[in-house]
Amino acid sequence: MRYFLRRMLHAVFLLFGVSLLTFLFSALTPGNYFDEMRLNPQISQATVAALRAQYQLDRPLPVRYLHWLNAVAHGELGFSFAYNGPVGPLLWVRARNTLLLTITAMLLAWLLALPLGVWSASRLGGAPDRILSWTTATLLVIPELVLALGLLILAVRTGWFPTGGLVSVGFESMSPLQKLHDLASHMVLPVTALVLGTLPMLVRHVRASVAEALQAPFLRAAVGHGIPRTKLLYGYALRAAANPLISLFGFSVGTLLSGSLLVEVVMSWPGVGPLLVEAILARDLFVVIGGVLLSMIFLVCGNLLADALLYWADPRIRIAASAK
Amino acid sequence: MQPLLRVENLAKHYAAGRSAPSKDKIAALDGVSLSIPARTTLALVGESGSGKSTLALCIACLEHATSGSIWFEGIDVAALDKNQQRLLRPQIQLVFQDPASSLNPRWTALEIVSEPFFVQGRFSKQERSDKAGTWLDRVGISRKMVSQRADELSGGQKQRLAIARALALEPKLIILDEALSALDCSVQAQISNLLLELQSSLGLTYLFITHDFAMAAQLADEIAVMDHGRIVESGPAEKILSSPGHGATRSLLAATPRVPKTHSVLVNY
Amino acid sequence: MTQRRKLTRWLIVLVCLHGVVAAAGFFAPYDPVEQDRERPYLPPMRIHLIDAHGHFHPRPFFYPLRQRKGSFDQYEEDTASAVPLHFFTRGAGYRLLRLVPSRLHLFGATAAARIYLLGSDAYGRDQLSRILFGGQVSLLAGLLGAGVTLFLGALIGMVAGYYGGWRDDLLMRAAELFLALPWLYLLFALRAFLPLTVSPLEAFLLVVVVTGMVGWARPARLVRGVVLSVKELDFVRAARGFGASDLYLLSSHILPETASVLLTQAAILVPQFVLAEMTLSFLGLGVPEPMSSWGNLLASLQQYSVLVSYWWMYLPALAIVPFFLGYLGLASALQQRSSAYKIDGESGWRPT
Repeated sequence: MRYFLRRMLHAVFLLFGVSLLTFLFSALTPGNYFDEMRLNPQISQATVAALRAQYQLDRPLPVRYLHWLNAVAHGELGFSFAYNGPVGPLLWVRARNTLLLTITAMLLAWLLALPLGVWSASRLGGAPDRILSWTTATLLVIPELVLALGLLILAVRTGWFPTGGLVSVGFESMSPLQKLHDLASHMVLPVTALVLGTLPMLVRHVRASVAEALQAPFLRAAVGHGIPRTKLLYGYALRAAANPLISLFGFSVGTLLSGSLLVEVVMSWPGVGPLLVEAILARDLFVVIGGVLLSMIFLVCGNLLADALLYWADPRIRIAASAK
Repeated sequence: MQPLLRVENLAKHYAAGRSAPSKDKIAALDGVSLSIPARTTLALVGESGSGKSTLALCIACLEHATSGSIWFEGIDVAALDKNQQRLLRPQIQLVFQDPASSLNPRWTALEIVSEPFFVQGRFSKQERSDKAGTWLDRVGISRKMVSQRADELSGGQKQRLAIARALALEPKLIILDEALSALDCSVQAQISNLLLELQSSLGLTYLFITHDFAMAAQLADEIAVMDHGRIVESGPAEKILSSPGHGATRSLLAATPRVPKTHSVLVNY
Repeated sequence: MTQRRKLTRWLIVLVCLHGVVAAAGFFAPYDPVEQDRERPYLPPMRIHLIDAHGHFHPRPFFYPLRQRKGSFDQYEEDTASAVPLHFFTRGAGYRLLRLVPSRLHLFGATAAARIYLLGSDAYGRDQLSRILFGGQVSLLAGLLGAGVTLFLGALIGMVAGYYGGWRDDLLMRAAELFLALPWLYLLFALRAFLPLTVSPLEAFLLVVVVTGMVGWARPARLVRGVVLSVKELDFVRAARGFGASDLYLLSSHILPETASVLLTQAAILVPQFVLAEMTLSFLGLGVPEPMSSWGNLLASLQQYSVLVSYWWMYLPALAIVPFFLGYLGLASALQQRSSAYKIDGESGWRPT
């Protein structure tokens, strides 16, 4: 238990650090949202000044930070200047869209990586293993940006998939089945891009861990006991190889919100990514901080989840932790 | 006549690890006193963990003792400031046990022995090279090995190199911390002969640290036995070897492999 | 293949690739900023050896493109006028490596028609030339950025590892923070919170500095690890015994030991930093026009019309792939080599 308390304390410290950093950045920004407003001849200086005062942009930095912390404690994340509304709801909608994409991609990637990696490890050096290695090596060499753009062009040239956005025009009037189909067809490209980006590394890790586990003596004993092959691979070898994979899983969970920024921007998917890009360019302070903080929470929770899973899955860690 | 080195009640405590309660401290040295007259050899014998290396490092000013005093030629070493200590350092040199880690494996023999001159900053490149060459000759490293990298030399050659490096700044006291322990028997004999020869011609004083009584017997004038951070027995070499008093001394002596009497019969046969 | 040969092989590949980009002026037929408003968005042209009548010509040639009758953006080859390709011709002036002025180009056509091997962009600029020259900017940004990061990382790692104590704690906590943040966000935020409209040179420097400041944490940790193990070695002790200063110990003994770690990190970081520059420029936060970089060459793809009709504007994206391959191959060869030579003799100080 103390183990977890320490980790959580650590996580909270991290979150504070990040929020402070982001706040500091904003303070060093030359220019803010209201500079644009000031240039606009239709808005009087008095209005701008009043708005600035309302959002406390004239107060010193520590005061603003504390004010913001206080607001967060009450569940408010601030106000978006660009969208003219509270940050909270804006962020939740975008986060929901992002998670839709990333959770699908993550599940798909893991569901593909595990059998591929295990199969590859069980036939180490054979033709399928080598083909797989070659494919993953090729994919690894192609950066995500290149991949995403390539898929986009493919879609555009073939016309098979819609190129951008969450849903088509007229979504509201579709039947539930049509809605599902519409959403799914919009998701295909971004999900493919995400999966192709993360799959190679996953497959390699699974293959490496399982290959190592297959060398262990206890596994040879299991073979000697006549345990069938599938059970051997998945029940025994995979479980032994689980530790690094569990950490990787936690890491995957952690990047659920932040890992898809590029794909979302390229494919015009209305998620947290494009929102953040817009907000940073427009100096929309609270949106930026809210977005970054939300992503950090996911990251931190992902790490904690990995720790919790490891604790639950591996008795050695339980013993080590309670010995402290 | 005052001894070259005098150590009085030296103590060194380490704080234990973070998980242990703060009261626990490990005492590496627990009140050590000894003295070494000039031009003699004191052998410090003890098991692993008895604190010998800690003592060596403290005397060489590479570690700070928690309490006690070290007098070198009548000067209180601990009372000196950093700059004065820096001036004193060349007088006390160390030769370590494992030449693989005490010599930078990528450097050549010449570079290693020239390093002390370089650090002291007083000599030109040619002077450094010449002086280093002289010392290398003195310890028996041939000219053609001079530009070889340290990791290409044999164990015996490496220790000769380490000795040459220790001699470079013409120290008065050389501390040999298990310097012969990692060498083969025949090489040990060669190096100890070298040490004895250097001592008589250069007037060196040795503090010879070892766990092996046989080696101590060869080189030492006096022997001090160390156990758990204290000196438990000390005196002239023959006396300790023939009639050990303390239990630790006796067990160490018993552990030393002795040549059985039958061997001499066989040799003469 | 032995490790040495693998390493050499990848190094040769990388040197060749960089060489082509460094000598962009020679390999590119045209000046990258030279516009031709009459020929926007031309598709890539093909080189032929056999003409429309079936005759073989030893000298390669191409057909200029003309608009197909009745369409705006369909082009066909004008088989009436074949334009021969000349090798080692004189063309637009450039300075090799910014030093040597030259007019020599690997290939080119007569002034009458222009050959667009990879098509042209909205202003009729030759994409091949822009890719080659753009590579100079992107690669340089990557190399310099990696240099800044490694310098910072090595410095911080050495201070933290050598002096320990509160400095170590503080620096390693900061490193954890930087490692925890998603690097793209950090990069983005850092760049965006700096002035947005700057000259191309300033933008380039900003990109280098910003990317450099983002990635120091991992190298710092690795260097710190090496320093921690080396500073306990006896030869460092011995040098202190001669009265060596901290600076001497760090520079003469400890720094050389970190070389292998730093080299491996360099091979891993350079392609990532090139990618970072590409991403920033693609999103409008990096190197601006008219300077070309692989990133801003792709920026036009954000328009739907370009995406639909002008597929060759995607080609700059593929330019980085061989470099990625080369650097990752180099990195894996270096990693294999460093694990083969394990640091032994790490006896350090043992209490006896």
